Amino acid sequence: MKEKTFSRTHLLILGLLSILLIVVLPVANAHGYISNFQLNTWGKYLCYAMLAISVDLLWGYTGLLSLGQAMFFTLGGYMFGMHLMLMIGRLGSYQSDLPDFMVFSGLTTLPSFWQPFYSFSFSMLMVVLLPALVALAFGFLAFRARIKGVYFSILTQALTYSAALLFFRNELMMGGDNGFTGFRRLFGAEIRSPEVQRWLFVATGIALVATYVFCRWLTRSKFGLIQQAVRDIEARVLFSGYSAAAFKLFVFVLSAVIASIGGALYVAQVGSINPNAMTPDKSLEAVVWCAVGGRGTLVGPIIGAVSVNAAKSWATQAYPDLWLIMLGAIFVLVVLFMPRGLVGLPAQFAWAGRRINAFIQERRGRRPNSDDDGNDGGDDDSGGPGTSRQPPDPPTEASAMSDPVPADPPGDPANPHARGQTEPPLTPAAQPQPRRTSADPDPSTP
Amino acid sequence: MPSRFLIRTLLALTLACFTKQAGGQQGGHVIVGEPEPTELPQPGGMIQPPANAREVVIEALMSTDPAEQAALVRSLLGSGDPDAVGLLTAWREGYIYYHDDFEGDRFPVRFDGEADGVGRRNVVRLDNGEPVPGVGGQPMRATENQLELAFTDSRLRQAMRSVTDMAALVADNHNRRLAAVRGIALEQNPDKIEALELRLPLEPSRQIQREIEVAIAMSQLRLPEREIKLAACRELERLTPIPARDTLRSLAREAETDGDDELAAAATDALAAIERHITRVNAAGTVFRGLSSGSILLIAAIGLAITFGLMGVINMAHGELIAVGAYTAYIVQCVFQSGLRLSPFGYSVAIPGFNASEGWFQAYFLFAIPLSFLVAALVGLAIERTIIRHLYRRPLESLLATWGLSLVLQQLFRLVFGASNVQVESPVWLSGNWTVYGVMFGWNRVFVIGFALLIILVTYLFLNRTRFGLLVRAVVQNRQMAACMGVRTERVNMITFAFGSGLAGLAGAFLSQIGNVGPSLGQSYLIDSFMTVVVGGVGKLIGTVISAFSIGMADQSLQQILLNPVLGKILVLLAIILFLQFRPKGLFTTQNRSLEE
Repeated sequence: MKEKTFSRTHLLILGLLSILLIVVLPVANAHGYISNFQLNTWGKYLCYAMLAISVDLLWGYTGLLSLGQAMFFTLGGYMFGMHLMLMIGRLGSYQSDLPDFMVFSGLTTLPSFWQPFYSFSFSMLMVVLLPALVALAFGFLAFRARIKGVYFSILTQALTYSAALLFFRNELMMGGDNGFTGFRRLFGAEIRSPEVQRWLFVATGIALVATYVFCRWLTRSKFGLIQQAVRDIEARVLFSGYSAAAFKLFVFVLSAVIASIGGALYVAQVGSINPNAMTPDKSLEAVVWCAVGGRGTLVGPIIGAVSVNAAKSWATQAYPDLWLIMLGAIFVLVVLFMPRGLVGLPAQFAWAGRRINAFIQERRGRRPNSDDDGNDGGDDDSGGPGTSRQPPDPPTEASAMSDPVPADPPGDPANPHARGQTEPPLTPAAQPQPRRTSADPDPSTP
Repeated sequence: MPSRFLIRTLLALTLACFTKQAGGQQGGHVIVGEPEPTELPQPGGMIQPPANAREVVIEALMSTDPAEQAALVRSLLGSGDPDAVGLLTAWREGYIYYHDDFEGDRFPVRFDGEADGVGRRNVVRLDNGEPVPGVGGQPMRATENQLELAFTDSRLRQAMRSVTDMAALVADNHNRRLAAVRGIALEQNPDKIEALELRLPLEPSRQIQREIEVAIAMSQLRLPEREIKLAACRELERLTPIPARDTLRSLAREAETDGDDELAAAATDALAAIERHITRVNAAGTVFRGLSSGSILLIAAIGLAITFGLMGVINMAHGELIAVGAYTAYIVQCVFQSGLRLSPFGYSVAIPGFNASEGWFQAYFLFAIPLSFLVAALVGLAIERTIIRHLYRRPLESLLATWGLSLVLQQLFRLVFGASNVQVESPVWLSGNWTVYGVMFGWNRVFVIGFALLIILVTYLFLNRTRFGLLVRAVVQNRQMAACMGVRTERVNMITFAFGSGLAGLAGAFLSQIGNVGPSLGQSYLIDSFMTVVVGGVGKLIGTVISAFSIGMADQSLQQILLNPVLGKILVLLAIILFLQFRPKGLFTTQNRSLEE
């Protein structure tokens, strides 16, 4: 009855990719096949991928477009950054026990809320706890008032904006404009050394794979089904007796934690964090990665985060002036013409191909004998009685891509639950079914 | 509300005109040999034809009796003749010399032109400005040591200072006089009391009269006589000038150490009165700033209230439409001046300018307003046709697509106009301010408030009194039903969106007068505008109006209380989030029976 979370081929591919990520790349780096810089860059992309997954869990699976994910990402970064700042010790430019920016702003003793961050485990705890608490408080208020859709986006955007304003202040004692930078040591080792960076990369890889596996399991569970039902028709979920708010709250907190862990790993690898990473624009950028890759899938955000950022690294050097125009244009085009992103592209092409095919067939079939009601005997591709006969739009390429998208967000192409009802043309597997049911009575009677 | 502001504006304008006329008549020359109150001319009626101030100065220079010199100089008191002021300043600072020519005539001279190798310069007569003939008819040249310096003694110098101070006091320009009086008040020089007292009954402007009284009282605090100090304290208690606080404080301290309780009490009372006055002024100022920042919010948000509130389209490029309007105002300004040279994408585009005269240039803003609306509306139309049209049923995705668009537009601004802010000059009629009881009202702010109300009125009339507005409301209420009744909803959408975008452009034109115009201009207003519309509620303009003014007021008063603008902003945002707990749909909502909106 219930579909398995991981099919055998899926497991195989996942395993291979994880080994590639966690073992092969670091080992190749250790032997000099991959430069430190490249490994570092990829580590950064993987952190972004975690951020993208957190966006997707909310947007793709629950229908909540949160523009606050960059805030959680940065909060995680700040929490780990506090530990790293304290680990600088007397190596800073003022040779003081305090972080440089505190000396600069005239402090002589460490503020009390900084004290516990000498402990690595406390700082790790805060990476999880602080964003979770913020998300819990905000989510509780927002979902209790049934704020959803666009309103939720605007509110989370405002939340991020005010958090950024707060962190820009020097009074907060979190480094103000410049944030944290100049980290030196982690566990007593030089943090910029290739060994530490390699281990950080491995940690990022493990975190990403674990996040992926967990999210895949979650979205395939009964919880995930309700989650997607909330996205599709929230009212029906409510009428069925589920507390939609509780589900949304859980997902919101969960994705905040995922983003935060990504942020913590990001800070350790990039070596700086400042409030600019908190602005709503960064959240929207993460949404772009998710949309480009394909939302409502878990692979999509990873692909999107890596590909968009790789493109960004290239374009900011090759066309520094035009990069933003490219990003914006990509985004507009993806939203207009590729609602499923890169992952959904093959299905989209296949669907467009079938539509064109059906159109040609119909033309061919009609011209010789227009009163004949379709031929029964022939091929499977002619489709069910309804689908080819009443095309709602002319099957040109552009409209075929932009029009069939329904009002609700599209589901996971690998998951028939999500989109079986909403989009008949996209599911080739669903087409033979009506035939068999109509033909069923005949074989069953004898 | 608007009528009151209108009346105030009119009042201020008439007042300004009156001041100008009256000030023009003040340029007279009043002989006040001995400052006797009875001799003083009454304000408004000038009694004497102005004698030539230059002649009087020269007469004084020629006089050998110091007492007569001082009396002559003093006779210039009340004259605003810049010539006399210049001469007196030159005299005091030691630039005037005497020359005895071959016939034994003695006359005052000054140096002119460049010094040559041995330090000689041309010598010019002071009375007619002609060069002094030297040997052989050549213009005479001399060094400073060859001539006799015109001396001044302390009494004469004081008289001169009084005259020059007085000259600033009788300047034609209202603001110059005001600045002069304020400067004197801060100086607290008892020597100037005389000039001030002379001027007081002549001053036509009530405001400046008051300032003169302040200056007199403040200067009197420096006089040794106790009774005068006491009287000055009482006067200050009545006038409550803010700059007097420091002096009063030190006076109160001194009086206490001297054991002069009465004086100390008077000074403390005056201080308390000033503090009360400051509190009132601050409160009034906060209200005004709240109103004006509410109006700015309103102007920025009204376009959004149309596109988001009425049509349900999340237009993240709204901020960039505001920037389009602001840049249009900039271009119009440049065209009225000497033109503008842009270099987008490595091409060079020159837009020729009219080189308009000053008067015409002042009018550029009147042309900029409709053009900003038009340009932004056209851009909006293009956006609607190409992008938003496809996304009406997918609001979240319209948010994303328009955000992509906003990135593109921002970068285009950066490429075309440069990454730094451009300079948009305010016309003169927008750049002044006027002060009522210590509260400063910037004209541009007052104008913004008036304009916000005007926009609201126009939008309201457009939506509620025109046929097209009826169609818009019908489509908003029930799109399908409207379509069934034959409303061309596509067309209505298109024009509504263009109208909302045009309003954003208008907002840009006005915001260019208040803040910086740069590529990220729109970003700073976007989030605030969205919050305004969300709080106001979707579908009703009145909600946006009320929420804009309440957010503006809350913001400004929190800033006043907390003295920390950022914390105030954060608190406002938190308050909004809490507010939405109780009214998730905002202040005003359209009643709707459907389950999902």
